[in-house]
Amino acid sequence: MTVQIRSSIRFLLNHRLVELSAVSAVQTLLDFLRLDRNLRGTKEGCAEGDCGACTVLVGRLLEGRLKYESVNACIRFVGSLDGCHVVTVDSLAQPGGPLHPVQQAMVETHASQCGFCTPGFVMSLYGLWMENPKPSVAEIEKALQGNLCRCTGYAAIIRAAEAVSVIGDLDRDPLIAERATIIQKLESLKDGKRVEIGEGSERFLLPASVDDLAEIYVAEPKARIVAGSTDVGLWVTKFMRDIAPVVHLSHLDELRRIVVDETGITFGAGVSYTESFPLISKHFPQLTELWNRIGGQQVRNMGTIGGNIANGSPIGDTPPALIALGASVVLRLGKKRRTVLLEDFFIEYGKQDRQPGEFVEAVKIPFLPENALYAVYKITKRLDEDISAVCGAFRLTVDGAGTVTDAVIAYGGMAGTPKRASHAESALTGTAWTEASTEAAMEALAQDYTPLTDWRASADYRLLVAKNLLRRFYLETKGDEPVRLDRKQAV
Amino acid sequence: MQFDTPATTNPIDQLKVVGKPIHRIDGELKTTGRAMYAYEWRDPNTRYAYGYPVGSAIAKGQITAIDSAAAKKAPGVLAVVTTLDVGNLQKGKLNTAKLFGGSEIQHYHQAVAVVVAETFEQARAAAAMIKVDYAPQKGAFDLRAELATAQSPDPSTEPDSSSGDFQAAFSTAEVTLDAEYTTPDQSHAMMEPHASIAAWNGEEVTIWTSSQMIDWWRTDLATTLGVDKEKVHLMSPFIGGGFGGKLFLRADAVLAAFAAKTVGRPVKVALPRTMISNNTTHRPATIQRIRIGADRDGRITAIGHESWSGDLAGGGPETAVMQTRLLYAGENRMTAMKLATLDLPEGNAMRAPGEAPGLMALEIAVDEIAEKLGMDPIEFRIKNDTQVDPENPERPFSHRDLVGCLKLGAEKFGWDKRASAGSRREGKLMIGMGVAAAFRNNLVMPSGARVKLDKEGIVTVETDMTDIGTGSYTIVAQTTAEMMGVGIDKVAVQLGDSRFPVSAGSGGQFGANSATSGVYAACVKLREAVASKLGFNSKDVIFENEEVRSGNRAVGLAVAAGPDGLVGEDTMEWGDLTKTHQQSTFGGHFVEVGVDIATGETRIRRMLAVCAAGRILNPITARSQVIGAMTMGVGGALSEELAVDTRHGFFVNHDLAGYEVPVHADIPHQEVIFMDETDPYSSPMKAKGVGELGLCGVSAAIANAIYNATGVRVRHYPITLDKLIGELPDVA
Ligand SMILES: Cc1cc2nc3c(=O)[nH]c(=O)nc-3n(C[C@H](O)[C@H](O)[C@H](O)COP(=O)(O)OP(=O)(O)OC[C@H]3O[C@@H](n4cnc5c(N)ncnc54)[C@H](O)[C@@H]3O)c2cc1C
Ligand code: FES
Ligand code: FES
Repeated sequence: MTVQIRSSIRFLLNHRLVELSAVSAVQTLLDFLRLDRNLRGTKEGCAEGDCGACTVLVGRLLEGRLKYESVNACIRFVGSLDGCHVVTVDSLAQPGGPLHPVQQAMVETHASQCGFCTPGFVMSLYGLWMENPKPSVAEIEKALQGNLCRCTGYAAIIRAAEAVSVIGDLDRDPLIAERATIIQKLESLKDGKRVEIGEGSERFLLPASVDDLAEIYVAEPKARIVAGSTDVGLWVTKFMRDIAPVVHLSHLDELRRIVVDETGITFGAGVSYTESFPLISKHFPQLTELWNRIGGQQVRNMGTIGGNIANGSPIGDTPPALIALGASVVLRLGKKRRTVLLEDFFIEYGKQDRQPGEFVEAVKIPFLPENALYAVYKITKRLDEDISAVCGAFRLTVDGAGTVTDAVIAYGGMAGTPKRASHAESALTGTAWTEASTEAAMEALAQDYTPLTDWRASADYRLLVAKNLLRRFYLETKGDEPVRLDRKQAV
Repeated sequence: MQFDTPATTNPIDQLKVVGKPIHRIDGELKTTGRAMYAYEWRDPNTRYAYGYPVGSAIAKGQITAIDSAAAKKAPGVLAVVTTLDVGNLQKGKLNTAKLFGGSEIQHYHQAVAVVVAETFEQARAAAAMIKVDYAPQKGAFDLRAELATAQSPDPSTEPDSSSGDFQAAFSTAEVTLDAEYTTPDQSHAMMEPHASIAAWNGEEVTIWTSSQMIDWWRTDLATTLGVDKEKVHLMSPFIGGGFGGKLFLRADAVLAAFAAKTVGRPVKVALPRTMISNNTTHRPATIQRIRIGADRDGRITAIGHESWSGDLAGGGPETAVMQTRLLYAGENRMTAMKLATLDLPEGNAMRAPGEAPGLMALEIAVDEIAEKLGMDPIEFRIKNDTQVDPENPERPFSHRDLVGCLKLGAEKFGWDKRASAGSRREGKLMIGMGVAAAFRNNLVMPSGARVKLDKEGIVTVETDMTDIGTGSYTIVAQTTAEMMGVGIDKVAVQLGDSRFPVSAGSGGQFGANSATSGVYAACVKLREAVASKLGFNSKDVIFENEEVRSGNRAVGLAVAAGPDGLVGEDTMEWGDLTKTHQQSTFGGHFVEVGVDIATGETRIRRMLAVCAAGRILNPITARSQVIGAMTMGVGGALSEELAVDTRHGFFVNHDLAGYEVPVHADIPHQEVIFMDETDPYSSPMKAKGVGELGLCGVSAAIANAIYNATGVRVRHYPITLDKLIGELPDVA
């Protein structure tokens, strides 16, 4: 296969086309905007995806449709923006001109104090408005999960979100009114070429296709694959690691495919949490809350299931949930593919069943059998935007006689990898699904895990909660009342 | 102007502009991203270099060597300036820890070097190449372990107080409470990280930075740089939050100044978020013991409050006992503070220092003793109200309406629906209500301003006052408009520049009242200048509708200013009214929570604060302050804690992922009511602070609500589920 090579990236920045050939693999969009382009409206509060002060919109064409999503510019690499439209707060209102409806709403509801978080909120709300002009409070909260404000106490910002549609007319918004032109411009940037830029610690590549990616990665197995960069971004900004050469994959439409057949769903490795959400919540409603509580909206817009798995962290949220579902990963090395059960993919802390040059191409999730009971619980200190102390996933099949015929239990945060609880599973299998068998399985968990103590939780607490989650699962499957705090009840 | 007798009627009382719900005048700048924060300052003709700081990897010891050879050779690097290169520097007066210079390490992440490069990425990459050799020493990091060695702090901090005979009264009291409470180390976690740009011009240096107190910084920076204060120019027009974290000079300014001097170019330095908790200051943890004795009727006969906290050698205590000297009546009293030497980062002021952690403990204790007495906690507080300083009964409060706040709050909140502890259920939720008193002293600080009237009739105010989100721009404009009889659109406000008159600055909730008083004083001068220029008798002139009138003569302000304009400048100084009268602000916090019986998760359902804080200068900005503070109190109650690694001596969760401030979903319906009052003893504005009052007591109200919901008393913050879960009733 011969691919043509381009040595620059091209994208729209607000109203202008930008072409860059001198850009480093580790340059973040935020630093590019603020330091190179002097677009200082976008703020840096943390440089690690936690605060949302750096929120900008990135519009991307996927199968002819242009969608704008909020992202954290602080952990987004400039290299990943080829063919995209970046919209920053600086472009929303001209000096002396009228404010954008979102900005006007923020002023009128007094949703700003020190103002440092404000541009980020403006952009998150703009993104929401375009997708959903009349959002409910729950939808507003979801869109703003990834934006912290230390000053205002949030209520005024929610009121601003509600006021936008009263103040503005979406049809007259430039990103809506000029959509056809923007799409045309973005289409014209597509040339099917591989991009290669820089040397040494600055080098990065954008493969022309998945086949090209496979080829590049075999040739350079030490390269760092970057999907949504919600993990890798922090290695650069927080841990000052050298990650070059970088191979991006988020621009590859082929990896963003989703295939549904009668056995299950296959997500390409580049599918983001946001893109997978409609199908996940349709076929696995038990995962809706988990999906909604991964990071904030910006992280979900960028982060991928593939990245969550490949990252191999013991506290990643999707692995326990997917292991319990019997999911598998499709691994690709050059032209060869193999499929591995997800539970077997994680070998030990920091080690996965992946050969040099091999990457995750897709994740397959089988549908639940009709009579299966399934639940996932994420335990965090703060409800939203927090990393799990413990994440427990449970799937049981109970036959007509009330006997457990199949039990799969997996936890995150309890061991060096996301891991199944084989003792607890066998304590349940073949017994009646009763309080007594639940308690026996709870006891067995102590044989399955010796969790760590860290500042998120003590070993004792982790084990206690792991047991209680199993009890919660039992109670929920037996009673009709959810044994958990519901967002709606609390607010 | 000297304020030494209570205010009588003055132009502010017209309340045409002051007291009105005016939107913040900087709202547009902030929503468009055009408000210029420290790191963003830019002169188009200057090429800025970027500095990246390196923090110490040990908590205590000496640096034996720094190898920066590799970093110096890295692409784009212009210079590496190390703490050894600059040698020992004179520490500013207001910091406990030194910020830079010399080989001694006093705490983790103390700045040890700054790498300067053409680009930010190059500086960051090279910073990772710096190798530092240390000779570590054993440090003390665990407050509890150091309790026995804790000493009475410097007498100037007035660590102890007593009146009557506490011991005797407590030991004979009919009902007693003796309990220990703890509050953790907390982080300001303001959204804008500390950042500075330094530019030298010969021997003079200009610093754009993020500072709450321009003159404090300027003085201490001059000391540390060893230059004359007049040679330092500091600018801080917009500040992305401070909460006390930007009261005192910080390392970014010092590093930027040295870096810029070394490379001969302006340099920008920001502290990476991950360095902030350990490099800067924090609110220190406390261990508090509270003893209350009462008679069966619920009258306090003895009240004692002791607090232990830690700090670096030379530092001060967290003054957690202060409110207990003033809040409740009772003849026999004692308070005491002890200070342990800890080698953690510097402990210092965070929003409502002293009162915030003090009330977190005291207001649980009050809930506990009320319960022991079988009394409603509001009734107990009302019964023990005092209108005089209980330690000096001849000294009255200038104005105190705690009782009014509690009564009104109880009515509005539906306090009568509160059930006994652990008895109200909604499905799997246990529901409870809690109350706490809010209390924070009203401090005053000298504050200056300059007010200029020009030939267009525009009034420009210049003061080095800062706006950290509090709304200073807006209330300064309102005060000026009121005093000069113009609309707010005719007022221009310039803040945060050391070339302007020295103001109170933003801290201790003294900013709004003190700074507007300074503006008031300057406006009085300007009014006199206008009157005298026109030959009016300044006693009976009226400033109204952009005109000045005396008798039947009226002259437009623009005309009065003439081509050269007129200026008034003054500083408000304070007499001894704060000594003769105790000046404080008061409030009642009401909270309803739901606690999940199976998991112990707490969700806040509603919150109400009723505040008595003198005249409210702008109900929108004041309300916003209180709501923001209540939100911070939710974090303090439920999630915020800097976790100490007691082996290595640092805060582990030093980022916003690990230090959990509240997010949207944590915050329920919140309401604020201000009592309609003025306090003529406080200032000509008759206002007091509100910015910190809103935080004082909230966390205890939450703790009390959790107790009311569950019957489980947690005395150690934050109240995370692991502290509750073991005690909750069985899920059946
Ligand atoms: C603020 C914030 C909040 C977060 N909250 C959560 C949370 O609640 N729960 C949670 O589980 N995670 C959370 N994360 C972590 C992160 O978002 C997830 O792990 C995410 O799924 C990673 O996906 P990505 O596409 O961004 O991966 P990247 O960062 O691009 O990559 C992660 C790793 O996977 C590798 N990789 C990626 N794709 C492939 C592939 N196709 N083949 C081989 N290797 C690949 C990369 O080389 C790298 O090692 C959070 C992160 C942030 C910044
Ligand atoms: S700067 Fe905080 S999320 Fe990007
Ligand atoms: S307004 Fe200050 S952080 Fe939101």
